[in-house]
Amino acid sequence: MAQKLRIIHYVNQYFGGIGGEEKASIKPQIRDSYVGPGRSIQDALKEQGDVVATIICGDNYITENTDMAIDEIIRLITPCLPDIIIAGPAFNAGRYGVACGAVCKSVQEKMGIIAVTGMFEKNPGADLYHKDIYIVKTLDSVRGMADAISKMLNLALKLTTKQEIGNPVQEGYIPQGIIKVEVSDKTAAQRAVDMLVNKIQGKTFETEFHVFMEFERVNPPSAIKNLPSAKIALVTDGGLVPKGNPDRIQLNNATRWGEYSIKNIESLNPENCDVTHSGYDNTAVKNDPHRLVPLDVMRDLEKKNVFGSLNDSYFVTTGVGTTLENARRLGREIAKKLKAEGVNGVILTST
Amino acid sequence: MNLELEIINIKDVQFAEKTAISDGVLLINRRELQELLQQDKRFSSVDIELAHPGESCRIVRVFDVVEPRAKVTGTGQNFPGVLSRMAIAGEGRTKVLRGASVITIDHTGTAPPNSAQARIIDMVGPGVSLGFYGQLQNIVLLCPPASGIIPSDYWHALRLAGLKTAVYLAEAAQGIQADSVEAYNLESLAANSKDMEQLPRIAYIYQCYGLQHLSGDKPLHEPIFYGDNTYKLMPTIVHPNELLDGALVRGYAYGGSAETYDIQNHPIVLELYNRHGKDVCFAGVVLTVGQSTEPERERSVAIAAKLVKHVLAADGVIITRLGGGATYVDLAQTAELCEKIGVKTVACISIMANDRGTKNSLIFNSQSINAIVSMADFPVPVTLPHVDRLLGGPLNIFEKSAGDEITVPPRMIEGASNVIGASKIRVREF
Repeated sequence: MAQKLRIIHYVNQYFGGIGGEEKASIKPQIRDSYVGPGRSIQDALKEQGDVVATIICGDNYITENTDMAIDEIIRLITPCLPDIIIAGPAFNAGRYGVACGAVCKSVQEKMGIIAVTGMFEKNPGADLYHKDIYIVKTLDSVRGMADAISKMLNLALKLTTKQEIGNPVQEGYIPQGIIKVEVSDKTAAQRAVDMLVNKIQGKTFETEFHVFMEFERVNPPSAIKNLPSAKIALVTDGGLVPKGNPDRIQLNNATRWGEYSIKNIESLNPENCDVTHSGYDNTAVKNDPHRLVPLDVMRDLEKKNVFGSLNDSYFVTTGVGTTLENARRLGREIAKKLKAEGVNGVILTST
Repeated sequence: MNLELEIINIKDVQFAEKTAISDGVLLINRRELQELLQQDKRFSSVDIELAHPGESCRIVRVFDVVEPRAKVTGTGQNFPGVLSRMAIAGEGRTKVLRGASVITIDHTGTAPPNSAQARIIDMVGPGVSLGFYGQLQNIVLLCPPASGIIPSDYWHALRLAGLKTAVYLAEAAQGIQADSVEAYNLESLAANSKDMEQLPRIAYIYQCYGLQHLSGDKPLHEPIFYGDNTYKLMPTIVHPNELLDGALVRGYAYGGSAETYDIQNHPIVLELYNRHGKDVCFAGVVLTVGQSTEPERERSVAIAAKLVKHVLAADGVIITRLGGGATYVDLAQTAELCEKIGVKTVACISIMANDRGTKNSLIFNSQSINAIVSMADFPVPVTLPHVDRLLGGPLNIFEKSAGDEITVPPRMIEGASNVIGASKIRVREF
């Protein structure tokens, strides 16, 4: 028989039996064998392995001093020669969830050992760590303990023996944000009708894809107080570039932006412009670039001193099929440049 | 409405002296068909080629795929409003040459944006099962444009050529005994729930065209719905039989991965039909288009949801969309509104992500859209083998010859990224 697996269980001060909120600042400490819920891990393991030690740490301590706490934990567990770390489950306890996530990610990366945790889907720890580690989806309270422990252990054992990990529904973990392609035994039409019938009849159904609330709301800033002295810039995601697209801004899924001079230029000549954007009918813009980058109107208003001055360049990228990460980076880079050029306000034209 | 499809199984296609069907073999008088198509002066020439399953052959720059069909009884009008006189499709008997298809090729080399200009049908290799059409006996029409013909006129001529050929071939089945008969009998939608009061009433909102790239003054001439340019189409209720029997054909500029063949064999319509009276009551279809401006979109969305809820009295609705990003907005707003007024929804989507990450895959974030089915526009390139024979329009579509081994996004394979439910390829979040 293979050697018995050595498992370390991580719990917070409450599940470690030390105390409630008043003990949330205790530093990591180690106990032999299992404590509290660790007993069910041991029961489930039977002869396959042992909970050799339990780490107990206060939720406040680890969330407020994460790096230090992780170092201390690693120092404590290293002599135990663990094969697996099981953290939690944390259910809907926010700081505990974040702590479990941090512990698992760190020991996985720094010690190369298998780490699994469990928590409620809406626990902030899930949002922070679901991409890096396996987090079993649990109920929001301790009622879900037995189910959580069984799934966590199952995953950990599969990882240890390098078995293939099934999909999130089969295994019960929170999706890690990766898309894989597979062949179903039913057509999309069949699956759509199945899903709708179940949904109407109040039965459980499994969506094939989730809507992610990743689009944060951007609140409009307060109005510019002194417009006649303000410097205004034109920015667009509609892809208007100088002829030949010198910075090779992509037609879609853009990773680049450009800044082009309009210094002393009164109007844009269609013959000197190109449009790099695959997401809309470019005809109107090709005929008259001002319909995307309204230089004509802006020069007019500048002369009438409705605003102070127009920035000497305009900024452009292509907003179609752009990933969130790229869109945020492009925005930050452009905003940084605008600030450096002393711009007070922007007219952003989108398509 | 009662529609009967007389299915004649076609297991081979050959050129012959006379166009006919003999023991499941479709025989074609090449010259006669050529002369029929050559009557359209928008073509400079007409050639016809055959491509059989298993042949080392690649067909490129596909414009459309049509199943050969011809009316036997009923109004007698084939593809009414587009090819023949206006009449309501969906009643009577129609001959179907199952296993064959007519493929039209776009020779302009300048397809409009987003129409996946280099659409491929492979008769061998992995493209066959991915794209489906490689399994059929294919009649390929090679009709380059005459000089001076503008693309939109040419594309309409191609559309007509495909439909004309489909009818011409199926008419050869007159007097041939059908191998099977499929009956599509659905009472008027208002009365179709008799004895099915306990079953969920399910409707289908079918986005059949999109205007994302057509906001200019002169949209393309695409008379696809009873001959109507759908860009001013208000959401309209259609009887499912109409779709199966030629009321709608593929739009090109924004056809979005649903060929005429798929509309004739519409997977969602057929699935709801098959289950009508068993576990669902098919409440009907609402035809819509993806709009390009917000006021138009709001109007279209509101009317579609109203029809589903207050006219079709549906408990639930399946919603599909075409390719591109803008059409997602129509889909999402429609689903959101339906949920709000108490109609349960399933939204059918294709993945947009270029990075294979889940959070970049959708461009809406309505939490009420909680039942999503993935269609097959998946971001994993496919390698297709070298082929001996190439059929198609301008072949300079890749850096190397189109006949070489090529690696392409699946959306370039005709049928692979079907957006109306034909595909078994799905994505899963891991």
